[in-house]
Amino acid sequence: MPKLTIDDQEIEVPAGTTIIQAAMHAGIDIPHYCYHEDLPIDGNCRMCLVEVEKMPKLPPSCATVVTDGMVVKTRTDKVKEAVRGVLEFLLINHPVDCPVCDQAGECRLQDYYMVYGLHTSEIPLEMKVRKHKAVDLGPMVVLDSERCVLCSRCIRFFDHVTHTGEMQFFGRGDHVEIGTFENRPLDNPYSGNVVDVCPVGALTSRDFRFKCRVWFLLSTDSVCGGCSTGCNVRIDHRDGTIFRLLPRRNVDINKSWMCDEGRLTYHKLTSGERLRLPAARGRDGMQAPMKWSDAISLVDTTLRDIASRHGQNSILGFASPSATNEALFLFKLYLGDRIGTSNFEFRLASEDKDATAEEDQVLRHLDKHPNSIGAAGLGLASDSLGGIDGAIVAASEGRIEAAVIIYLKPLVERPADRDLEAKVAKLVESLEFSVVLTSHKAEWLAKANVVLPVTQWSEEEGTYTNFQGTEQAAGAAISPGGEILPIWQVMARLLKTSGDERVFSSQADIAAVRKTASAES
Amino acid sequence: MNKVLLANVDQPDQTNIDKYRERGGYQGLQKALAMEQTAVIDEVKASGLRGRGGAGFPTGMKWGFVPRNTGKATYLLCNADESEPGTFKDRLLLERDPHMLIEGMAIACYALDCHLSYIYIRGEYEFVAYTVQKALDEAYAAKILGPSLMGKDYPLDIFIHLGQGAYICGEETSLIESLEGYRGYPRLKPPFPAVSGFLASPTVVNNVETLCAVPWIVKNGAAAYSAMGTEKSKGTKLFSISGHVSKPGTYEVELGYPLMDLINNEAGGVTGGKLKAVIPGGSSVPVLTAAECEGVTLDYEALLKAGSMLGSGGVIVFNDTVKMPEVLSVIADFYAHESCGQCTPCREGTGWAAKILRNLVAGKGKVPDIDLLYKIADMMEGKTICPLADADVMPIRSFVTKFRSEFESFCAS
Repeated sequence: MPKLTIDDQEIEVPAGTTIIQAAMHAGIDIPHYCYHEDLPIDGNCRMCLVEVEKMPKLPPSCATVVTDGMVVKTRTDKVKEAVRGVLEFLLINHPVDCPVCDQAGECRLQDYYMVYGLHTSEIPLEMKVRKHKAVDLGPMVVLDSERCVLCSRCIRFFDHVTHTGEMQFFGRGDHVEIGTFENRPLDNPYSGNVVDVCPVGALTSRDFRFKCRVWFLLSTDSVCGGCSTGCNVRIDHRDGTIFRLLPRRNVDINKSWMCDEGRLTYHKLTSGERLRLPAARGRDGMQAPMKWSDAISLVDTTLRDIASRHGQNSILGFASPSATNEALFLFKLYLGDRIGTSNFEFRLASEDKDATAEEDQVLRHLDKHPNSIGAAGLGLASDSLGGIDGAIVAASEGRIEAAVIIYLKPLVERPADRDLEAKVAKLVESLEFSVVLTSHKAEWLAKANVVLPVTQWSEEEGTYTNFQGTEQAAGAAISPGGEILPIWQVMARLLKTSGDERVFSSQADIAAVRKTASAES
Repeated sequence: MNKVLLANVDQPDQTNIDKYRERGGYQGLQKALAMEQTAVIDEVKASGLRGRGGAGFPTGMKWGFVPRNTGKATYLLCNADESEPGTFKDRLLLERDPHMLIEGMAIACYALDCHLSYIYIRGEYEFVAYTVQKALDEAYAAKILGPSLMGKDYPLDIFIHLGQGAYICGEETSLIESLEGYRGYPRLKPPFPAVSGFLASPTVVNNVETLCAVPWIVKNGAAAYSAMGTEKSKGTKLFSISGHVSKPGTYEVELGYPLMDLINNEAGGVTGGKLKAVIPGGSSVPVLTAAECEGVTLDYEALLKAGSMLGSGGVIVFNDTVKMPEVLSVIADFYAHESCGQCTPCREGTGWAAKILRNLVAGKGKVPDIDLLYKIADMMEGKTICPLADADVMPIRSFVTKFRSEFESFCAS
């Protein structure tokens, strides 16, 4: 492993490391535009020039591999002047339209100007090169060529990540512009990523632009709920409203990317009307709102009564692969240990198999739920029922009398999935007593005996297990307010009512019990 | 003086393979094929031949860098993308004596253990490509090229590839990139082409004139070649002389020949006025004033000492009617137009400098603009992947420094 000195700091790095990577490792920031840790090296922006002893010219740190005994300086006057010069070049033809630019606040041109630039422009306005503006590249991306620093990150993304090569440089010299061949629309299912990789305001998101200044946004780390890949994401929100999802880097799962469908899932959260209060069907057959405490004791009492009359296995726990591991663990704890059933199921289709089946060669998987592997791992799929169809048959034959159902609408839907919700409705219809935990109103819910309003993705803290079996934590970004409760809290209340004396007041409490449970098994 | 390169260019039938052979053609190849491959490289090393494309890197050493027995094919690429303003020497060789190039390439391929070679001809030389293709066809018909190299069990194919009119594709790595079918962008070095070039294999890129000197060297021996020229600049060189001279054209002289003699004897002297300035090696080298031209000899070292470079040997002569800011503006426009746009300093710097000069020549400049040109030159120099930015910096600096009063007078008017 070569040892080198960067700014008087001696560090050892694996062979093949470039100077810029070694510097990042040592906590030293080297300015750059074209370098991206998940894209091949290009070396065109010339911002990352550094001084290396025994090298006559300033080498680009992104393309220079560390050798043993190398002495690198990143903050000398010579380096600063070189970087300032490159920055001045980048800005001469830039429109400097920060007040109307969406990138403002997270723009590398702004950031580096404050550190290295602070110069006065020496080019008269009429000398600036004019390029295309507000170019409609595709459904996700808008291009402003005048803001572009031609770093080729977007081009390299399509060349080396999706291998589709939609974008390219056109023209020569200071008239070079990026674009698509013959202006064909950029309809790649991963096109939103080029907005993230663009270090400046050239590529902006059609979905997010002009919605909110980025410095007003709060960020919460989460995991995408759109499919079983489990891409790490960041939820940017303000005042209880989500404005955008951005990928978070995870080398083992999604690198720096996510798909456009996943990026847009947050729109699904606000479509339709939310359930606000628990409700139960009275003797007249009409549902009426009620207090949580009443709803909880009604559910517990009725389930116990049915269990004593028809046997414990006449009760079914039908879980959702969109719920967190914590919620599902308590779900199983309550229905399994307290009520005593061994009938569990979560499959509306073949989620457990689809979860590991690739939909494309980049990221997506066939199963559009974030936690099918977690649900299967908790033993929530039963061979005897074999999915919801088996459960419906068992219910209509009277083998199952009652069920507690968690139903969360998938955030990404394929045409084939559209009638799956109807199957849940059919199951509810076939039961003597049904409890449904869900987030949005739906006509079929009128048939349920008890309806409990619960949180959906982005509102509940917990973990999801992705296709690789990696359990990943997602934070609660926003709160739905009102009487809506996270599923795990509903389950904790049921456990308490049923006489379980353990305290489940936080994720940590559940984690501790899960740990003991898995140690015992 | 012995003519190495232009001995037969005046013969109208020299492009014919039989006539070429009658005049001693393909004897160098025959001799080379009887030698060990490495012995041919040693011979070229001993001759002191240096790359004639502009950089002047020792040819034998370049060949020696190519790793052998890597399991990958080795490629020889002939750089016939002659686009340096003021340079038209390769065209003469390609047009009048194409078999000399083919013979030189065949020898080089044999020495390098290369079986597939390309001639990258600039797109504007399409008419020349027909002549070269005809010569290649003749060489195949005469069984010089093809499955066996002049009867020796050594297959060799040579193909022509036409460029699409980009100056940058004369830079060896963008030539490779272009030949591979990509946009002509220079590559980051390392890896150098000798290790990983065309199709990620060991590759040698040589200029037309360099390869044309090889048959003579092999045929007559390294000693005969190195007997010509100066101590460090061996052999002969072609100079394309243009501008205000009576007989513009391409002339072959021994290295170390006085610049003024070339202008006065070969080119017939300065016309239309007194000598004002000379660009000695193509537009990308620093300009020399009339006073600086006195006593300067045409070789790598003397020109470097005089503050310029031998470059490609494109000598451009200006008389005293020429306004130097106008010349620089044309040169700067050329580099702004030909910058590939990959690296920031070159892309933005060449364009900016060109605009400032256009403005200045139009009488709209200010004196601070002249200092801004220096600043832009500093910001561009040595910060890019390839030397195109430096090729713009050198004329800008030398013109502005040596003819500053002229630039100032443009501002005043």
